[in-house]
Amino acid sequence: MTGPARAELSSSLEHLLAGYAIAAVSGIGLGAALWSMRYAREATAPYLYFLYVLPAPVLVPAAMTLFGIGFTMKVVLIAFAAVWPTLLNTVDGMRGVDTVKLDTSRALGLSRARNVFQVVLPAAAPQIVAGLRNSLQVAIILMVVSEWEASSDGIGFYLSNAQQSFDYVGMWSGIIVLAIIGIVANLLFVAAENRALHWHYGQRAVQEVSR
Amino acid sequence: MTVDASPETATPVVSLRQVRKVYAGADGPRTALADITFDVARGEFACVVGPSGAGKTTLLRCLAGLTPPTSGEALFEGAPLRSVPDGIGVVFQDYGRSLFPWLTVARNVELPLRVRGVQRAARAARVAEMLGSVGLADAGAQYSWQLSGGMQQRVAIARALAYRPDLLLMDEPFASVDAQTRFELEDLILRVRDEFGVTVVFVTHDIDEAIYLADRIVVLSRSPGRVAEIVAVTLPRPRDQIATKADEAFARYREHLLGLVMSRR
Amino acid sequence: MTARVLRPWLLRLGVLAAALGLWQGLSAAGVIRSDEFPSMTQTASALWDQASTATLWSATGQTLEGWAIGLAIGAAAALVTGTLIALNQFAYRSVIGVIEFFKAIPVIAILPIGLVLWGATLTMKFALVAFAVFWPLVIQVCYGVRSLDPVVRDTATVLRLRGLRRFVTVIVPSAAPFVATGLRVAAAVALVVDIITELIGGGTGIGERILLAENAGPAAYPVMYAYIVAAGVLGVLLAGAFTVAERYALHWHESQRVAVDLYPERTRVTAIAVLSPGSPLPQANRPGAEPGVALRRLVPRLVAVVGGVEVALLPAAVVDPEGGVGPVGDRARPRGAVLIA
Repeated sequence: MTGPARAELSSSLEHLLAGYAIAAVSGIGLGAALWSMRYAREATAPYLYFLYVLPAPVLVPAAMTLFGIGFTMKVVLIAFAAVWPTLLNTVDGMRGVDTVKLDTSRALGLSRARNVFQVVLPAAAPQIVAGLRNSLQVAIILMVVSEWEASSDGIGFYLSNAQQSFDYVGMWSGIIVLAIIGIVANLLFVAAENRALHWHYGQRAVQEVSR
Repeated sequence: MTVDASPETATPVVSLRQVRKVYAGADGPRTALADITFDVARGEFACVVGPSGAGKTTLLRCLAGLTPPTSGEALFEGAPLRSVPDGIGVVFQDYGRSLFPWLTVARNVELPLRVRGVQRAARAARVAEMLGSVGLADAGAQYSWQLSGGMQQRVAIARALAYRPDLLLMDEPFASVDAQTRFELEDLILRVRDEFGVTVVFVTHDIDEAIYLADRIVVLSRSPGRVAEIVAVTLPRPRDQIATKADEAFARYREHLLGLVMSRR
Repeated sequence: MTARVLRPWLLRLGVLAAALGLWQGLSAAGVIRSDEFPSMTQTASALWDQASTATLWSATGQTLEGWAIGLAIGAAAALVTGTLIALNQFAYRSVIGVIEFFKAIPVIAILPIGLVLWGATLTMKFALVAFAVFWPLVIQVCYGVRSLDPVVRDTATVLRLRGLRRFVTVIVPSAAPFVATGLRVAAAVALVVDIITELIGGGTGIGERILLAENAGPAAYPVMYAYIVAAGVLGVLLAGAFTVAERYALHWHESQRVAVDLYPERTRVTAIAVLSPGSPLPQANRPGAEPGVALRRLVPRLVAVVGGVEVALLPAAVVDPEGGVGPVGDRARPRGAVLIA
């Protein structure tokens, strides 16, 4: 039953993975850069916030006029929409690192580069990961919405057709595939998070017990 | 290991001259330290005590090179402090926030060695040695947050001493542990000081602890901090939790120091 | 306003002016093709036109209609359901898996069902918004209600607070910060889903206007971008409204955070403060108190009047039995100190 829907799955996943990967890397990279440049950060803060609360789907028609309806449009759109939660959470997480850790880093003689990569980023990791999770949700939404309008492949395109032609079976199969994408993405994310942040959850568990 | 310390001939490890530190506070400038002048000789164990708000922590941060003084001189090995110099180790009060929770105990202790380019085999040996010195030989693979408070502070001490600094600064390091553990840690730091020959500046609000540990005690006055007095402690070494504290001289020091710290001056 | 406060804003205005100027410059120079992307002045004037006629406002109204109704329904359902589930251990354990499952489904999967059931109507809009808002918010409410500090709970029991009174005076304030965050996030989610229903569901509002402008061709692109800006501004205003409301409602919780020098408190303690009539809040950093110690979330919450004496719970603070504030050893954490103020 899910046959035709599954065929579209790989296109959708390509869009999603490409867009999300770009968003994740840029988000953390730009976030770290902004963290280190105080004036740039303060000057751009409200505009980044604006882009963060802007409901990203409104950009779909504009993206279509600029990039057509192909792979590029979807990846650019997904990346552009998904970068903000990661970026803002990266800046916030890095700024919020405990001053005692920063003092310790200086006392131990860590260079600026070592400080960023071996102290600030790990300390900020829990919040950065929260941003990445938010970004993933945004990316999935944009993946579907960008495929819905004049597109030629993807789950969104499939669902759009099915819904318009009252093909209920097709519609349900598309919904199920989409639901599976969401659930599997969530599971993978949680699994990766638990591994990468095991120290954070371990520490919190100990603190909870001693409350 | 006995340390030869003759303040008149050797360069003092630490030298403060009229150090003043003013912060920009929410309600205007706040003078944390008004006029601090003292030296610490090589191998000496100096304690800094004073009433709350006297600026003890600020003083320690100036000594570490974490904060520059507003005026006056802070010298380490005769050279002015611009940043945190290589030969200083710091143990903070809040071990839970100072230790890196994403690294195991061994990796925490190893970190300053990696920074200094020590090769892997030598690093492993030094880490094992340090953990052995602080009594945590088997804890290397654990994470610091899995350990008790006292053990975490031992890890912090091991980490601070891993690269054999000349000066160890400690900011009320045993304030957050219970009394029993505190006695163990006090004896530990004295042992470690003898083993590695390091100069120690130890900030504490606990007068008994200061007398027990110190060769000299720097007493700060109320805020804004000045040096009220420097008391030389000539109690015999090695110190002992029971015998030393039963000594009459201990009680006399205590009386004198409490009088200074609790006075209205 | 001091220069300190103004300076970042001058910088920001400068950045904005520079960005807008660059946009206009690139358009005028032809680097940005006018048939693809309108110039800054074109967009600005389109925005002005739309704003000075009824169109922008009616579109905004239509968007807000679906948003508000959907948010209200979804939030009400989530608050009630979440609370009921959280208060009952059996219910919680049986249901939480299902809820987590539904939360992971991208809400956009439900869109086709909504379209089939209701067509391009307001009902479709607010139904989908409510559905999208419900799942994450119900989990958040559950979490908030269940996060009641066991010491606060025990204290409430000792003070013989039961039933509705217990719920209102202890559980609600304890869960409030979680619920507030959940609502703020829900408002943003609601707006996104609302816009989606307009873009691809045929609903009316800002999304619809954007679609119309896109279909009308390059001449209407300035209008399209004008509405994109409008959507962003709407997002900012709604987020801002929720943030302000949260700060006001939780003034007793958040704003009492006292930031400190270097080493804020390290342990959480729940204390009961017995306040005599007219006595002030226990103060952090009183003269003589150890500097560098903060009271995090130190706020008295009036719990009850017991025998003519006001009793308050301090959710999290570092206090010692003498009523002073100071660092507390990790083994020596009092599990419920009593202050007499």
